Amino acid sequence: MTNAFDTLKTGQQIDGTPFSPTRESIREFCEASLDFNPLHLDDDYMKGSFGKTSFGGIIMHGMNNFGVITKMLTDWLYPLGGVQRRLETRWKAPVKPGDTITPTATITAVQTTRKGHWATLDVQVSNQRGETIAVGEATVEFPAAL
Amino acid sequence: MKAETFETDFWKDAELRKTWDDIIPGEPRKTLPYTLTQEAIHKLCRVLGDTHPLYFDEAYAKQSPYKGLIAPPAIHILLMFSCTPADDWMRSPGTINAGQSWSYNVPARPGDTIRLEARALDKFIKNDRLFVVHDNVFFNQHNQVICSGRGWTIRAF
Repeated sequence: MTNAFDTLKTGQQIDGTPFSPTRESIREFCEASLDFNPLHLDDDYMKGSFGKTSFGGIIMHGMNNFGVITKMLTDWLYPLGGVQRRLETRWKAPVKPGDTITPTATITAVQTTRKGHWATLDVQVSNQRGETIAVGEATVEFPAAL
Repeated sequence: MKAETFETDFWKDAELRKTWDDIIPGEPRKTLPYTLTQEAIHKLCRVLGDTHPLYFDEAYAKQSPYKGLIAPPAIHILLMFSCTPADDWMRSPGTINAGQSWSYNVPARPGDTIRLEARALDKFIKNDRLFVVHDNVFFNQHNQVICSGRGWTIRAF
């Protein structure tokens, strides 16, 4: 067990780095992820609707958001000797070029099991208007050795 | 290491892809092995603004508990499309990502040969939308699980 585990407190908040997608960064994410879905590339395609969903223009990849949340967790965990073991996310609203999103996490429980030391966190991503873009839950471990 | 080339036109082979009606929960999806390069890891990390030395600085990474360079946990973002062929239904234009749940075991590393086992687990109609739940497990060349995930997507009609 790392000493860091003993310092964890329910209610402790972790703040992530704000991320501001642009049309260019969304295009770069297409290239880096190989996800060239026209949702993220083609404004004309986005004038249509998909079932009951209509966005009115290109949107950032949901998985870009996932990567932004992951960066917050690993930036916090690596110096403490912790490991990201699980991340669950639900996308609540689209992110568009020009938005700025910021992830945060709050420790909701700290647990010791037979073989491990764990914490669970609620995750939230908000935009510049204070709207919730994504919610989720993370589980992290503080192993004796990697 | 030579970078592989990938199809960037999501309309290509669109007519070959399974629609929501065709998808059979439980049926394995066709997948492709993929060699993860340092270049591909760095490309994804940079666009996320994540330049942690565990991903970029070999000397730092060797001194760390990981004993070498690793990829960030969210590398499955790239692996999902690099391990599936152009006619895979995940590429259907208009597919909307509704949510994801991933568990992580060992980190992926540059040079790993990655294998994906994937299938739809469930499909249903809710609020006039067509949903598919899919299950994905990535393994390295030592047959160790890197990560396993479940995704909820909304499919085009």
